[in-house]
Amino acid sequence: MTSVAVSPVIRRWRIALVVVGLALLALGGLVLLNDVNPKRYLGLAAWFLGALIIHDGIISFGVFGVNTAMRKAGRRVPLPVLLILQGAAVVGALMALIVVPEIAKKAIGTGNATLLPLDYAANLGWFYVVLAAVTAVVIAVYLAVARARRART
Amino acid sequence: MILDTVQTLLNGLRRSLAQPSRTPRMAVVIGRMLAIAFLLCFGTGIYSHFLQDPLPWMVFTTRPVFLYQLTQGIHITAGILCFPLLLAKLYIVFPELFQTPSVKSFPHLLERASIALFVASSIVQIVTGLLNTYQWYALFPFPFRQTHYALSFVIVGSLAIHIAVKLDVIAKHWTKTRSEQESRVEPAPRVEPAETSPRVEPAPRVEPVETSPPAETALVSTSSTRGSGRINPLTSSPTKNAVDRVEGVTGRVFAWIDKTPPAEPRTSRRGFLAIVGVMSAAVVALTAGQSFRVLDGSNIFGPRKQGVGPNALPVNRTAKAAKVGEKATAAGWALTVSNGATSKSYSRAELLAMPQFEVELPIACVEGWSQTATWKGVRVGDLVDSVGASGGVTVRATSLEENSSYAVMRMGPEYVRDNLTLVALELNGEVLDLDHGYPARMIAPGRPGVLQTKWLSTLEVL
Repeated sequence: MTSVAVSPVIRRWRIALVVVGLALLALGGLVLLNDVNPKRYLGLAAWFLGALIIHDGIISFGVFGVNTAMRKAGRRVPLPVLLILQGAAVVGALMALIVVPEIAKKAIGTGNATLLPLDYAANLGWFYVVLAAVTAVVIAVYLAVARARRART
Repeated sequence: MILDTVQTLLNGLRRSLAQPSRTPRMAVVIGRMLAIAFLLCFGTGIYSHFLQDPLPWMVFTTRPVFLYQLTQGIHITAGILCFPLLLAKLYIVFPELFQTPSVKSFPHLLERASIALFVASSIVQIVTGLLNTYQWYALFPFPFRQTHYALSFVIVGSLAIHIAVKLDVIAKHWTKTRSEQESRVEPAPRVEPAETSPRVEPAPRVEPVETSPPAETALVSTSSTRGSGRINPLTSSPTKNAVDRVEGVTGRVFAWIDKTPPAEPRTSRRGFLAIVGVMSAAVVALTAGQSFRVLDGSNIFGPRKQGVGPNALPVNRTAKAAKVGEKATAAGWALTVSNGATSKSYSRAELLAMPQFEVELPIACVEGWSQTATWKGVRVGDLVDSVGASGGVTVRATSLEENSSYAVMRMGPEYVRDNLTLVALELNGEVLDLDHGYPARMIAPGRPGVLQTKWLSTLEVL
């Protein structure tokens, strides 16, 4: 627990939540035991481990590295501009995370013309063009506003 | 020696990872949004589960007719929304991964294990859920539906335990005003000085990174402490956290990182929230059109598109995949309706000769896509009446499809006696396409697509 001295209300809620949580965990375990063949557990465990390694070991450090590098490289760049650029990079990366598997699955084949019917690669390309344009406009607007503010003061 | 090095490394990481956006208040703000998204997914998922596998006493409402379209649309959209929210939440608490000592006590070990389970199951759940909408099952070494169902309990259970563990922190930082007051009152977490050499980084006794604007300035000692053996308390800025640590490769790396220009806290926090907001809006706006018609225009990444498919409607399982093409197009096809010993067979022409009704009903798939369509056919109530059934009856419908868990479907009286429930023969003004269940299929209000049985073969009154 993160704190030792807590109010009685918090303590009561805490106990109730732990009881509910443990009951739900047990239920989840039972459902897994009942509905999923034990031969599949190893595969599921591999996915769990893979999820932690990919997120905590790769993505998080990648984000940290990019963030540090951008702030290093952008010493003279105003922080808001850096944040706008970082925001655009993060939005672009998240969209790739969701859309690239879609592109890959479509390339492999779906056996159903109505599943993944769009040209996702082209759409992602257009999305990046629009994202870059919007980012440029937002930066330009910020710089103009900042200049106007400085001029007033 | 090795332990010292590991500890130094963990401390260094934790210090360098500090950011103005990595605060308990931010964890609460993003965490509660994520909790709402998880609970929405859980509630709508359980509803979908029991619609498909009802307990004997369960009766479902058939109105509003778009109810399942709405709940499953919310399920999938909230699931996609979990991507930015979960990544943001994990970003905020990432330094906690490197807390030292790694395990303080048995309860602490349990707490950390429960968080590992929570994080892993959450990531697996949303990633496999997304891949399921692409029908990319080959990637899973486990059955999707059963695992998704089991993990939903694991996640909500872990969420309850996580909230319990963090309840005091959540209460302190629930509102902005309270969070700022708490941060002013709380004493600065100090890092103990090194006992042996100024160059050996000691283990900081630190609670989660505390950084509200007033506390931040109050907490920070000036650079005069650097190199003197005294070490600054942990704040949200790596520069302010910096200690002399130029020794060795890692020391040099940390020193390099620590010299990174600091981010101004308020701007940085606002920027972080804005980024999360833009990400969330983007993933919803660009995919949710598969479930909600109002967003169809901006649906460029949804795995389904409204109006795309035979009869201007997407298909989940084709006749080819179900291997029913031959039987469904055979001249001798007939729908057998039975009630005990009474049985009648209807050819498609005979069904078309019965009173026809036209209804506007959505077809809503468990994968989240949905679309409203115009269906025309015979009322199921009329068909069961024709074999002498009266009052509320349950019907078992069987498809020509084989080797599918959805080939046999039970329909409770609330659907059987609903005037909108049809054995559909036409769709959107055209003959029902083979991929949509020709020669006849079920359509009922408020049910998942997998229960709108296609390629009907028999209807039995139970």
